[in-house]
Amino acid sequence: MLDSAMAALASLADPSLLIMLLIGTVAGLIMGLIPGLGGTGAVAILLPITFGMEPPQALALLIGALAVVHTSDTVSAVLLGAPGSASASVTMLDGYSMAKKGQAARALTLAFLSSMAGGIIGAVGLTLAIPLARPLVLSFASPELFMLTVLGVSLAAVLSRGNIIKGVSAGLLGLILGMVGTSPTTAEERFTFGSLFLGDGLSLVAVALGIFGLAEIASRASQRRGEKQTITLGGGWGQGIREWLTHWTQVIRGALIGIWAGVLPGVGATAGTWMAYGQAVATAKDKRQFGKGDPRGIVGPESANNSVEAGDLIPTLLFGIPGGVPSAMLLGMLLTYGIQPGPSIITEHLDLMYLIVWSFAIASILGALLCFLSVKQLAKLTKVPFAVLAAGLVAIMLLGSFQEGGQLGDLWIMIILGVFGWLLKSTGFPRAPFLIGFVLAIPLERYYFLTDSLYEGFDWMARPGVMVFLAILILPMIWAFIKFIRARRHTNLDDGHRDEQPEDDEAPLKNSTWSLVASGIFFVAFAAALISSASFSPEARLVPQLVSTGGLIFSGILLFIETRRRLRDRTPKADQIHAEETEGIRGTLPAKAGWTLDAKFALKTFLWMTGFLALTAAFGYLIAVTIFIPAFLLIVARARLKVAIIYTGVLYIVLLALPSLLPIDLPQGWLNTLV
Amino acid sequence: MTSNKSSLEPPGLSPEGTDGRTEPGELPEPPKHSRRTILTAVGAFALLGTATTVLGGSLLNPPSSTEDGNFSGETLEFLIPLASGGGTDTWARFIGTELTNYVPGRPGFAPVNEAGGEGILGTNRFARSAKTDGTEILVGTASTVVPWVLGRSAVKYSFEDLKPVVVNGTGGVIYARAEAGVAGVQDLINRDTPLEFGGISATGLDITTLVAFDLLEADVTSTFGFEGRGPVNLALQRGEIDLDYQTTSAYASAVAGIVKEGKAVVLMSFGQLNEAGDVIRDPNFPDVPTVAEAYETLHGKKPSGEKYEAYKTLLGLTYTYQKGLWVPQETPENAYELLRQSSEKLGTDTGFQEKASKVLGGYPLVADTGMADRVRDAYKVSGSVRSYVTGLLADKYNIHVE
Repeated sequence: MLDSAMAALASLADPSLLIMLLIGTVAGLIMGLIPGLGGTGAVAILLPITFGMEPPQALALLIGALAVVHTSDTVSAVLLGAPGSASASVTMLDGYSMAKKGQAARALTLAFLSSMAGGIIGAVGLTLAIPLARPLVLSFASPELFMLTVLGVSLAAVLSRGNIIKGVSAGLLGLILGMVGTSPTTAEERFTFGSLFLGDGLSLVAVALGIFGLAEIASRASQRRGEKQTITLGGGWGQGIREWLTHWTQVIRGALIGIWAGVLPGVGATAGTWMAYGQAVATAKDKRQFGKGDPRGIVGPESANNSVEAGDLIPTLLFGIPGGVPSAMLLGMLLTYGIQPGPSIITEHLDLMYLIVWSFAIASILGALLCFLSVKQLAKLTKVPFAVLAAGLVAIMLLGSFQEGGQLGDLWIMIILGVFGWLLKSTGFPRAPFLIGFVLAIPLERYYFLTDSLYEGFDWMARPGVMVFLAILILPMIWAFIKFIRARRHTNLDDGHRDEQPEDDEAPLKNSTWSLVASGIFFVAFAAALISSASFSPEARLVPQLVSTGGLIFSGILLFIETRRRLRDRTPKADQIHAEETEGIRGTLPAKAGWTLDAKFALKTFLWMTGFLALTAAFGYLIAVTIFIPAFLLIVARARLKVAIIYTGVLYIVLLALPSLLPIDLPQGWLNTLV
Repeated sequence: MTSNKSSLEPPGLSPEGTDGRTEPGELPEPPKHSRRTILTAVGAFALLGTATTVLGGSLLNPPSSTEDGNFSGETLEFLIPLASGGGTDTWARFIGTELTNYVPGRPGFAPVNEAGGEGILGTNRFARSAKTDGTEILVGTASTVVPWVLGRSAVKYSFEDLKPVVVNGTGGVIYARAEAGVAGVQDLINRDTPLEFGGISATGLDITTLVAFDLLEADVTSTFGFEGRGPVNLALQRGEIDLDYQTTSAYASAVAGIVKEGKAVVLMSFGQLNEAGDVIRDPNFPDVPTVAEAYETLHGKKPSGEKYEAYKTLLGLTYTYQKGLWVPQETPENAYELLRQSSEKLGTDTGFQEKASKVLGGYPLVADTGMADRVRDAYKVSGSVRSYVTGLLADKYNIHVE
């Protein structure tokens, strides 16, 4: 074994292999930077090039790209709050908060180092997994996978940052949204309103980019001024590395969760990364800083999302079961070379296996190094007025999310969810549970039904794996309960910080009419889901009904709390608003004051996006961009004329050249069908 | 955040007003542009974009000339109605890349994934608005064929309105878990406890297997909802289910190993349709009896009747002629013939065959002169076959095809 490993390493000294690895890495990094493309885009662009290469070269190229997309997709998440991929939305929670405090370089340094470590640990895991993978995968039967999804969904409570009712409501609504489309067990369409387009369910990229990316753009597009203050590097690299080293346990834990999530078919990168975040929060003693720039919230998930890709290679190579689109493409490539995945790959192609392992490790280091060198330059992006960036970001994000299915409908959904994401964000609903619910809805239902129909009664509960999961789920609840009892007995002293209501500048519309409206929307959505699920067959309706009933209860409580607060606040309200308004004009009080203006501006930005999409539908993407970009830059961002002209000109040329350089299609409009 | 909040004045306010309350450490709020500047700039760019779209459309894609014996300057657009990364996508991209080298004039190759509605949306769009000059080609696969056979109302296309350029088959085997007490085909009937079949969805490729079980009168119950055939294979290895099938390309990785270890038993292959429309042994599994042979072993006579007719129809549609490239029926004969002959050349090229053996799963690309007729026959689905299949789904699986 060691011989083959060393032989594979020696073969990487071959310059042609190294060059391929380098090209792959650079391509992966670039594709990671563009929101919406990610691993799928990277492999899709490189795949045609590999036809005609020798297998080692082709593998080096593709693995190089695959290993690093999750290194660079962090950049836009941290700097702009627009995640480059669905799993980068995890890093965004703390990374972006850190960047807003002027510590973008610190966040990026932590993220890149963790990505690198995640990649290396993933590669080691891949090596070790070769003999272990079979028993590991086979020991996870439907009941264990079901418990795993339950554990994932229950993270909603952990991730709800103090407001469990809001968090659980958001998680349940995410579950309902995830069930839109074809039911996994009975193949009937649910919540599609007869639309075939919705039959495949909503696109994950569109949901993640909408709920996080567009929402962020809308709430910040009013920012016309650049920030004068220079970005502090936070004490330079030395300190960054030192700080990172103090979190080494998080790095290893994150990487292990990532590998595990990658190995199990049906869990996926996004859910795996969320689980890494969830465990970081759940095991932390002091949770107050999570979501506000806690380094642990960056380190664990970043490490996980790179090791997921390594873990994903295990079932791909050993069973021929790819866990995601990129590995499915890799599988296709292997087949064209006559390399048959399966348990026998270890005996027949051991050298290639080790080549993959080494390529993965080297690309992880190379990718992190390249990103590392550009941290200073990248961090400067935050100095550009956000409104100027927003124009291009909208165009790029919509184009990116169009690539997955080539449906304009995905983009409409993205904008609708953008509005919803903005509402959640501004009214203090955590969005993380929403996304994790969306991702896990179908696996949860699938494995519940498989468990239910393949096992008699509750026999499956007695499986050792299931009991471990039950323990993980229940023990913290008991612990919390004991703590609660104790706290009641001896005053509130040691638990004081839990009741503390931190000043939440992320949610300026909390406790306003808006949050009442948001609770109302939740309630109505759950009620509608409950009513329309009555027409499904009994098997298809069980889970949606359970979820929407739960949702009705939680959102009902919310609605009650909000209404009571409105009634109670009614008397002092007039004075308060008056006070806020005067202070708002003076610009001294940051929160609450300008909330209506804030909301107005955000909604206006969404109108701009809608207009852009309408132009696209009518005249095609190219014309839409040439109208939207200069108009947005001049009217909203008030950029200088020169900037607007160059900006639009560059985008115009890129859009002209892009389809022939990359596997990218521009959305076509009604006009395109005429000419 | 402070900088953010303080700049949130309504956009309508005059710039002077905003400058007045700029905080230290921030650049001043940029002034508004005059309406004239905005209109001029936006108008100029809009003109540029429109000009590019309108003129570029005809400049970049000059009027097609696919009937002049070559496709030079053209681009073959493959409409793949499924998401990128799947088996069909890999197949289409591979064939497309190779095929364009064989078509006279070496056209460009543009694979377009238009996923949605399990392949129905993209195929509907193709049927509605595809160009009929031979440059737009539909990739057909079992996912889009089965709903058409079932007559789902969402399907707005018909394979009878399309012409096949090239078809490529696949095959498969049904195998069982040895520990479930299965040693051979005879253990499928007269059982104390039925065997559990693991499926994805009764209205997908599984339908052919379900019809085979119904034909054989096998003692089988089914659980649907698995994510794919790979997970079903794993579930069988874990002992959660007893029966599974795998297509030829997955056989080596998923089945061969566990059969060797004695954990699984291959029961039968689906077989292939020959030119006369009869079920023959699969060239990739010459030693494995077909479903038809299994019927004879179990029931002592040759299969016949509506169930067998349905099985043969489905075998042709979902295995023997499973994947194909199609153009609209109105495509000019010259252009169509050029594509078909190029595909035939590609399929018979030994270099290509060697390279493609794994992607094609050991089944040839078929594009000979008689292909179109055979495919047309295979794609003729009689009313009795349709009603039997929908009846089977309704009675046995409680699925009502809408």
